[in-house]
Amino acid sequence: MTTADVPFPAGAADRPDERAATGELVHKALVKWHFTLGVFFMMTSMTAGFLVSLNFLGAYPFEDIPWLSASRLRFLHTNEIAYGFLVNCFVGAMYYAVPRLTGRPVFSKGLGWIIFFVWQFIVLATSVGQLLGFAQAVEWGETPTGFRPGTFELNYIPIDALIAVGALLVALQFLTPLARSLGKRMYVTGWYLTAGIVWLILTYVMGNTLPEWTMPGASGAATVGLFIHDLVGLFVTPMGWGLMYFFVPIILRAPVWSHALSVIGFWALAFFYPLNGVHHFLLSSIPMSVQYGAVISTMAVEIVVTTVIVNFFGTMWGRGHALRSNLPIRWFYTGMILYFITCLQCAFHTSLTLQKTIHFTDWVPGHAHLVMLGVFAFWIIGIITWLWPRLTGNEWYSRRLNHWQYWLTMLGLLIMFTDLLAAGVVHGWMLDALAPWMDIVDAMKPFWHVRTFSGGMILLGTALWSWNLWKTARTPKPYDYRVDLVDAEAA
Amino acid sequence: MDRFLGIVLVAGLGCFVLAFVLSGLYPWMLNEGSAPEATLDELAEDVSVEFKDLKERWPEGFRQAYGAEEALNLQELVGVPEGDARRTASDAAWRTAYRKALQDGRDAYVGEGCWHCHSQYVRPVANEDTRFGPVSRWEQDNNALQRPVLWGTRRVGPDLTYEGTLRSNDWHAAHFWDPRVVSPGTVMPAYRWFFRDGFQVRRRIDPDIASRTGLDPQTSYPVPGVYDTRAEAEQAMARVAAETPENLAGERERLFIEEGRGLNDRGLSILAYIQWLGTWQPQPVEGGA
Repeated sequence: MTTADVPFPAGAADRPDERAATGELVHKALVKWHFTLGVFFMMTSMTAGFLVSLNFLGAYPFEDIPWLSASRLRFLHTNEIAYGFLVNCFVGAMYYAVPRLTGRPVFSKGLGWIIFFVWQFIVLATSVGQLLGFAQAVEWGETPTGFRPGTFELNYIPIDALIAVGALLVALQFLTPLARSLGKRMYVTGWYLTAGIVWLILTYVMGNTLPEWTMPGASGAATVGLFIHDLVGLFVTPMGWGLMYFFVPIILRAPVWSHALSVIGFWALAFFYPLNGVHHFLLSSIPMSVQYGAVISTMAVEIVVTTVIVNFFGTMWGRGHALRSNLPIRWFYTGMILYFITCLQCAFHTSLTLQKTIHFTDWVPGHAHLVMLGVFAFWIIGIITWLWPRLTGNEWYSRRLNHWQYWLTMLGLLIMFTDLLAAGVVHGWMLDALAPWMDIVDAMKPFWHVRTFSGGMILLGTALWSWNLWKTARTPKPYDYRVDLVDAEAA
Repeated sequence: MDRFLGIVLVAGLGCFVLAFVLSGLYPWMLNEGSAPEATLDELAEDVSVEFKDLKERWPEGFRQAYGAEEALNLQELVGVPEGDARRTASDAAWRTAYRKALQDGRDAYVGEGCWHCHSQYVRPVANEDTRFGPVSRWEQDNNALQRPVLWGTRRVGPDLTYEGTLRSNDWHAAHFWDPRVVSPGTVMPAYRWFFRDGFQVRRRIDPDIASRTGLDPQTSYPVPGVYDTRAEAEQAMARVAAETPENLAGERERLFIEEGRGLNDRGLSILAYIQWLGTWQPQPVEGGA
């Protein structure tokens, strides 16, 4: 396939005269407000994570307050990242990308505001419910069912049902323009976003109903594993890659290296990713045949990942200096390198040999932070960093602060990742060596101090950025489109 | 297949359903689908000694949490003949209370995030069967209290699959109030909202014993029962005094009332649940994988 055949995302050029044409197409206020709330929940979630880490140093400030207990704040840390930060930011980015990609507006602006308010209510009500002690025992889906277990008596707002409705509304909003471009050749971003929205609904409903209401014990655990993995692999990952396939060519002003490879990447993700679910509970009482299947398909995912990475580095070929001059591109490609590392790690640590040592240790949170922060949050930060001056029409309050954020967050994450990996190996070996339990806990304490320090770096970087976003929006200073075009055209 | 409907049908639905069939439905068909799930009633069939002990230690909190006035402990059953209606009523009341305690305790275990730091899942590797107990089998988790399962996510604290009956109720109560008192160096948070404040009757030790042993004569120990008001505590003190035999009349003088605290319904339930863990064993299933 020659480059001439490669579909190029619509709205690629970002010249002022084209803004007028897309002005009505993109509802900028919705993009801006979803990003704003997304960054707000990113801050609250990270603050919660930082506070929980203090508990491990014996320095937790709110030990006597039930609704600020470290163990309940931990729900808030993971759930606000998923439903507050990731969903808000992905939806915001889709309000920009989908109309430009399809050349058609989303279903309705009014529905957009309804979704916006309903979704913020869901996220806040989830956090309040969890702080009051109504969590559900599904990892990463601890959103309250609202029912007393095994009955249909309500004891809290039925969040699970509300999220399913919210996801359906999101589907109506974005699948409408995507479906209306039926018959036209669809660019790969459209594939990823279409499938990601459909998968979000299916995954959420499956994970929050079957293990709770029908499937007990080990097969319920298999379904919970499937839910955790599908939420990452079938919602967050397709959204992330779909948006990368949209924004990277636009910013680099270059077509994607190979459309064929992007198609292979999509179908291999669709096939192999969901089969990985059970690898969250290896060496368990789930039948071994199912466990082996999950291990093998996890290794197959590495092939998918390699095709996608090769494609993006092919796109970058000859334009490498953009990594230095263009901050969004640097965020994107740092995320891609970390994505490759994280998936390579996955292919190895799901082997039963490594599971023996690292399961139930800090290795796993180390891995999870690399994926959620190092890959998807980095991509979202890159997208917002590129779009924010275009949305507000204001030049950055400080471009230097954005660079501070990059280095603080990136280095903080690498320190945290290395630290937690090492902690996990020590934990696993001490467990195997039958060391007394309190000796294991004592051995973890130095690692936990480093974790709090690195978490502080990440929190500080994010706080600087949030402040910068705020000041940029509030300080009128016309944004000169040529500043970023210089970067891109030099490429 | 690069059309909208193709993606929705083949990728969106097809691949998703295939994965669910292979990694969710298939294990269910092999195991749980072939054996009935144990109901809460079956799990609460044998009321544990530890649960009955909760009533003796925290009678007032127990009454507030479960009612269960007819549930009699061993002492109260002395003199009640076999086959008496009171025994049958007592057994039924115990089971009802135990059933409620297990369900509420599990909900608290979930809501407090215990399962984020404690696993319920012993693996056949890393000497875990030496450290924690027999390797987990799927039959053990095929019950109403494992919906969804509480296998856990991380082991900051030890596995709790077989935690029931390993430690006393007193140990657990002290541990919830301040984990570092009984387990120095632990990072487990305190759970002080498992306790309720009130008034309790205490008894000072015999001054003769104090002088002979060198203990502080002001040393005292509590009579079980924490009451919401001072008036109730005074009534309780009068009852204790009335039950004190004549030859120990001096004891009555050493009773006094002080502010105290005991487990509340949340604390009692989670303790009942923890003491239950590993005590229920399923019937082996023919042909299970």
